[in-house]
Formats: sequence, structure tokens, C-alpha cells
Amino acid sequence: MNTATSHDIQARVARMEATPSIPAVLMPLLKLLQGPSESVQLDEVAKLVSYDSTIAAQCLRVASSPLFGLAKPPESIKGAIISLGLRRVESIVLTCCLGKAFPVKDGPLDPMVFWRHSLGCAMVCRKFSEKLVAADGEKAYMAGLLHDIGFMVNSLAFPKEFAPAAELAYLEQIPFDQAELATMGFTHCETGRALAEKWHMTDDIIQVIAHHHSVERSDVTTQPLVALVHLSDLLCRMRGMGYGYDERQKVDLLHDPAWTILLREHRDLDGVDLVRFTFELDAAVGEVCELVSSIFGQTGQAVAAT
Amino acid sequence: MTTGAQPAIVNSAAIKTAERVDPIIRQIRDLAYKVSGIFQLDEKLYLLVDGCGRRMKQLGVGSHRDYWELLSASSSREAELRQLLNELTIGETCLFRCQPQLDALRKIILPEMAAGKTRQVMKRLRIWSAGCSTGEESYTLAMNMLEESEGLLKGWTVEILATDLNDRSLEVAKAGIYGDYALRSTTDHFRRKYFTALDDKKLQVRPEVKKLITFSRLNLQDDSKMLFMKGMDLIFCCNVLIYFDGPSKSKVINHFYSNLNFGGYFFLGTSESLFKLNDQFHLVHFPGAIGYWKPSLTSGKL
Repeated sequence: MNTATSHDIQARVARMEATPSIPAVLMPLLKLLQGPSESVQLDEVAKLVSYDSTIAAQCLRVASSPLFGLAKPPESIKGAIISLGLRRVESIVLTCCLGKAFPVKDGPLDPMVFWRHSLGCAMVCRKFSEKLVAADGEKAYMAGLLHDIGFMVNSLAFPKEFAPAAELAYLEQIPFDQAELATMGFTHCETGRALAEKWHMTDDIIQVIAHHHSVERSDVTTQPLVALVHLSDLLCRMRGMGYGYDERQKVDLLHDPAWTILLREHRDLDGVDLVRFTFELDAAVGEVCELVSSIFGQTGQAVAAT
Repeated sequence: MTTGAQPAIVNSAAIKTAERVDPIIRQIRDLAYKVSGIFQLDEKLYLLVDGCGRRMKQLGVGSHRDYWELLSASSSREAELRQLLNELTIGETCLFRCQPQLDALRKIILPEMAAGKTRQVMKRLRIWSAGCSTGEESYTLAMNMLEESEGLLKGWTVEILATDLNDRSLEVAKAGIYGDYALRSTTDHFRRKYFTALDDKKLQVRPEVKKLITFSRLNLQDDSKMLFMKGMDLIFCCNVLIYFDGPSKSKVINHFYSNLNFGGYFFLGTSESLFKLNDQFHLVHFPGAIGYWKPSLTSGKL
């Protein structure tokens, strides 16, 4: 990518500040979550969430989904935090806030499809982590949820440039990043990175956003997380949680360099039965779709009402 | 959708069903997977419940727990498990059973093979339907290849070899006569183009489709005969390996591997897995389908 484009991306991302759909709670929340986890105050998070009644209601709804493991819906935000644990609450709040942040208006990318992939990838990342003793499931969830945030930037800040890219991807059934490169000269990885830096996300999440299509180029220390997201992303796209079309490609996860990178960090990856894992994920696709409709369906109504 | 303070419980009917399932059924699911490689999805656990129910009735077993005892402790457990798996896979067969597999074949594999064979004078595609049963899969493949005969496969010779151990199944296969149930996933386009109506209820496959297929009897455990099945580009073997024990399964898979040309593909049934049975095949994901690839000589990896 040339410098002019890089400047252009940053300039346009800077102007996204005023996007009305980004919930007010999102920025302070991200700031709160940046700190070391032991210093994050339960009450502070509960207070932030309660500021926005639609977000609070959505959080309770999401917490009662099978994806988050509560058998019955919690009765209060505080109750949810206690039974779920703070880190899981962070994941839920972030899921809801970001669900609201995507523009509802007609764009090249259907927001429902975008969130189904993002949430699907978050779910796969966490389930994948559960197979690896030393992996951090909530971190992986967060990384999966945010990895394609650049598409949101594309839709908001580069709608004219992004439209032909999306058209090419759908028409040729090729991976989105290839279509972006062919038409725009840059991808959601660069635009996502610009937003992640502006929002002061943690370094590992920035690396995931910037390099989930080029794992080997990410920082060595964050490579295992980036590799995990890369593999989960591919798996989602092969199992009906992609961008609404079947890509004309085959994927060999076990011979992907990312698999080797992940194996270096997690020796127990060797014992993972990828086919069975794939079947298990299929069973969770329905849950992801329902969760997306419940978050997004309501957001759509809220926006339509204003 | 409920709004306001009382959040709706996000739950699908399938998940609710899965939650109500007896934990022993999950144990049986895991045992069946370990022994046969066939996995029953959560949303399809009711099939396993039904299958167990039928076996329990036949055996006069009263509870899931007693049936589990029979499956895990009894000396006849292998035989019983096979009976159960038979219950699960029976009646599953129909034409066009796995559309994602066919899409992978036509959109990804055939273009790849066509590109690889451009320099060959004699362009030939050899497909083997191993354990073809009553022929549904073989005819599905033949019709899909015919659809490509003016496109990707123009000027190609396509041969489909369909084998089974059971003579009775082979007779049914050769006749190529199917009713509504077997044709439930066959579109009007294919019905009109490749079938003739016999009466109100039955359709027969047309001669031009049959011409592509050779049906013959073969025991997959007959090593000397397996050695002759060389030069395959694609092998399909769906829900057949469940009838073999561990060592014979590995042996059959190894035969399949050597029977395939380099760059060829092997497909199992939609919920079967090769885990730990062979480490030479590359497991590959296509959209909605899983296949096993014998790497081409030129490329060790993708």
C-alpha cells in the first residue's frame, strides 16, 4: 500500500468520529477493558452498561443464549456479571455495542451477514481455544469478534470504493480480501487497523485485525492468536458462516502455515480431531444466527424508530 | 420478539431437543463415532434416539442404560453397534443426497482437474462409487458429469465404476428405477432431462446416463482385486466403512489411497471422518463439504 493511501485511510477514519450509530458506552468501555483485568471494576462495567437501556436489554438477552452458557436468563446486569464472570461480560457487552455500531442503511455489505460472520468467528475461536489447554478463550472470542472490523470502516468511510470490491467478490466467488486488493488496492486489514489504533485497542487485537490474512507478518509474540483467528475465519467461511456466498476454493487447514504456528505454541493441537470439530460447529450455526437476529433485529427497530 | 425488560430466551427448537436428550444417548453417540467415524449432530440426536429405540424393541431392552451396557460391556458389542449404525444410515440414500459435495466437484475439483490435464491427449476421468448400494450416488454423479459434457468436460471420456458386495442391490442399481422417496432431492430439471416415467410413481434413468456406468460386484476386503482398481480420479465411499473393524478399515483406506491418481479426491459420507486412519491424505474443506486429497506430485501442499 502506498503512503498516500495510508494517509487517506487514517484521515477518513479520523472523520468517522461523529458516526451517530456508535453507542456512547463503547469508547469508555474499550478504555476500561484495556487495563489489566484485575483492576477492572465490576460496578463500573455494570454502570456503563446500564446507561444505555437497549444495550442493557440486549446484554441480558445475549447472556441467556446457549453460546454464553447461562441456562436461564439473568435478572439483572449485576446478576449476569456475577454468574458469568467479568471477562465473559466484557465479551457480551462488546458484542452488543459493536452490533449497534454497524450502519443499518443499505451498503455493499449486509450488516446481518457481517455480524453473522464476526459472531460466528468469535464462537469458533472460543470453541477452538477450549480444545487447547493453554489458550485464553475470552481473548480469542474478542479477537474473532473484531477481526473483520475493517469491513465496517469500509462501509462507513469508503462506501464508493468498497462497492465494486463487494460486487467482484460476489460475482467471482473469490475471497473478499482478494477482491478488495484487485479493486481498491488495500483491504479491510489496513482500514481495520487504522480504526483499532484510533480506538486504542490492545496490541494483540490490532495484530489480529491487521494480519489475519498474513499470519507470518504479525509480531512473533501474537502469532498464535493471529493464527487461531486465521484458521477459525477460514473454517467459518467453509461452513456457512462466511459472507453470504460459497467461495470457489478448497482449504487445507492442517497444512496451512498458521496451523504450524499454532502447533508450536499449543502442542495439544495435534490431538484435535478437525472433522469432528467441524461437525460440532455445524450444530452451533443456528445459535449464532438466532443471536445475530436478536441483537441486530432489535437494533434495526431502534434505529427505524428514531 | 419480546422487547423491554424481560429478555426473550434465545433458543432454537433443536437446541431444546438436544438439551432434553438423555446423557446416555450422548455417550452412545461418542462411542459410535470412536468406532465408526460417524458423528450424529446435536440437532440430529433424535435420529440416534429413534435408532436406539428400534434396536431396544427388537432386543427387548427396556432402558437406554441397559442398552448402553449391551453396547459397552457385552461380548457382542461390535455386532450390536453395527446393527445400530445400520439403523442410522438406512433409508438415508437418495439421489442428490449431498449438494455441497456436488458443488465442490463441479465448481472446484473439475476446473482444477481440467487445468491439470490440458496437455494430455487422451482426456479421461475415472470415478469409482465404492459400495454403490442401489445406485443413487452413481447416477447422481453420472448426471452431473453429463451436465458438464458441453462445458468443462467437452471432449472428455467419463467412466464411472460402481461396485457393491450385494448382488441384490446391484440388480436394483442396474435397473435404475426410483420412486418419490429416492427422488425427493432431484430437481425438475434433472427429472425431465435424464429420466423416463414408468408409471405415476416411478421414474427410470435414461440409457445415456446408464452408458457412463459399469456396475460390478466387488468385496472391498478382497486385496487382490483391490490392487487392480488403479487410475481413479475420484472415489466416493459413503457410509460403507461402518461395516468394517479398525484394521480392515485402515487397509481399505490405504487401498483407496493407492488406487487414486495423484491430485485425486476421496469422499466419505457427510458425517463420517477418517481421523487417525490414514495420514497420507490431506483433509480439505470445501464450502459445506469435507474431502480427502491425494497431493499432486508437483505440489506438496496447496
